[in-house]
Amino acid sequence: MWAKIVLIVLCGVMIGAAAQFDPSRQRSLLAAGSRDGPRLRLITWNIGYAAFEDDSRAHTQDLPAIAETILSNDPDAVALQELAGPDQLKILLAHLKGHYRGAVAPRGNSDRVDAVLVKDRKAEFENLPTDGKYAVAALFHLQPQSPEIVFVSAHADAFSAARRRVFTGELIDWARKRPNKSIVLIGGDFNFELNLKDESHLYSDNVKNDSEAYSYALKYFRDLGRDAGETAANDRRIDYLFGPPEKVLLRRAEVLRNAGAGQMDHWPLLIEVAL
Amino acid sequence: MFTQVRLEFLKLIRSRSFSLSFIALTSFVVLMLWGFYTYAERKAGEQATAQFKYTYESKSYFNGLTFTLYSVMFSFSLLIPIFVAMTAGGQIAGERQSGTLRMICIRPVSRVSLLLSKFLVVAFYTYLLVAFFIGLNLLVGLFFVGWGDLQLYPGALNLVDEPGKLARDEALWRFAYASLSGTWSLLVIAAVAMLFSVLFDNPSTATVATLALYLVFHIVGRVEFFEHLRPYFFTTDMDFWRDVFKPEIPWQSFGRYGSICGAYIFGILLAAVVIFDRKDITT
Repeated sequence: MWAKIVLIVLCGVMIGAAAQFDPSRQRSLLAAGSRDGPRLRLITWNIGYAAFEDDSRAHTQDLPAIAETILSNDPDAVALQELAGPDQLKILLAHLKGHYRGAVAPRGNSDRVDAVLVKDRKAEFENLPTDGKYAVAALFHLQPQSPEIVFVSAHADAFSAARRRVFTGELIDWARKRPNKSIVLIGGDFNFELNLKDESHLYSDNVKNDSEAYSYALKYFRDLGRDAGETAANDRRIDYLFGPPEKVLLRRAEVLRNAGAGQMDHWPLLIEVAL
Repeated sequence: MFTQVRLEFLKLIRSRSFSLSFIALTSFVVLMLWGFYTYAERKAGEQATAQFKYTYESKSYFNGLTFTLYSVMFSFSLLIPIFVAMTAGGQIAGERQSGTLRMICIRPVSRVSLLLSKFLVVAFYTYLLVAFFIGLNLLVGLFFVGWGDLQLYPGALNLVDEPGKLARDEALWRFAYASLSGTWSLLVIAAVAMLFSVLFDNPSTATVATLALYLVFHIVGRVEFFEHLRPYFFTTDMDFWRDVFKPEIPWQSFGRYGSICGAYIFGILLAAVVIFDRKDITT
């Protein structure tokens, strides 16, 4: 009889212990600290349409709604992906009432382009050739005394994980070569499929390639939007904003789920950091 | 009780399945070494593709600790449970099939202490199996692959969300922890097999029923359709043992799922004891 009682007690103790531990305790925002410097607010947003549409690039009629979202959130810089061309940027800048300057990347081997917008009037722009296409970077200062900020807008291949891996590698290598004093942030649609727990198969080259590309990015950067949730339709988190692990303190990471128009399948990711 | 445990242990080490399990695990290590060696050579050697350098630019990624980690992870889900189920499943049903159960039960030893001593022996055997496997992998890794720090990447093992690293000495401690957490996790299978061993007359039936239950939960738990059922499978909780390899051990999660495994172990064992205590032994 004593053995049965001991087993009952042990079983009860284990159930009690299981109730005592809280595995779902949320982590605080990554790299959040107590100090505060000047705040830098950034948005990355793929403004294209879902792949099943006739033209999955950005639609000109959505630009007023996009401008309204940007103006209402007042970011210092914005990374946009899947514009149809430079003309759309001109129209968007007009809707932004002269508050922003911008540049688009050359077309390369793609039918769509990335763009970057920035408030700073003295900002410079630079194109980054990566794997046959281009990303575009804005180089600016938040305040005259603050370090140079390099904000990149990038868009990795939607259909080939191997190409995403090469693209990410070249982009990260470019960012690593920037002068040490610069603060490099990379925003964009990387299309990584990383949610292994939801995969019904154990392994595939896609998961391996994406996972390793993401790992490579995280060797040098922090995934600032990690706790913000999904950024695209079908519960996918494929838009990222990578920032330096030590130079900035994360203050806010939010996916603006009320933004968008037409058949757009991404939401903007807003990140605010303290320098 | 001590004499009972000693007798059961002697019985176990003289059984064929005992040596078979260690031989099978040794063969698995040899196979893993061959696969790991050729893979590492192909990927990090002269023929490395341009894209691969981004991840494996550090040649030291491939070392004995990485080898051990992969080997332990892969074998833990599908190989070691077979031997645990086989040994635990044969404990009572095996005695019944060979006609010795009635003889044992007429001795002045309670059925409860008989079953518990058998379970203690199975628990010790499970620890021995896991410790032997980890130790052998570490030795093989040291002599044939070389040592360094244990680098962790998100990927096939689904262990970490971002890259991390464990220094060599710390990693060795983590393997020691894994031998304990792994044993605790496997004891859930051992308890299920003991229950089936009490319920069924044939050790093969008990073993197959245990493995069928384990594999069904293990496989179904990985299919997206059944995501909402996943928290109710004991195989989901059993995964807690891997947490010791994370750069920072998530103690809350570790404690929670370790305790749930404990509840399974003692709950199922209690059911086995109650059933065995009241069961008519007719063979």
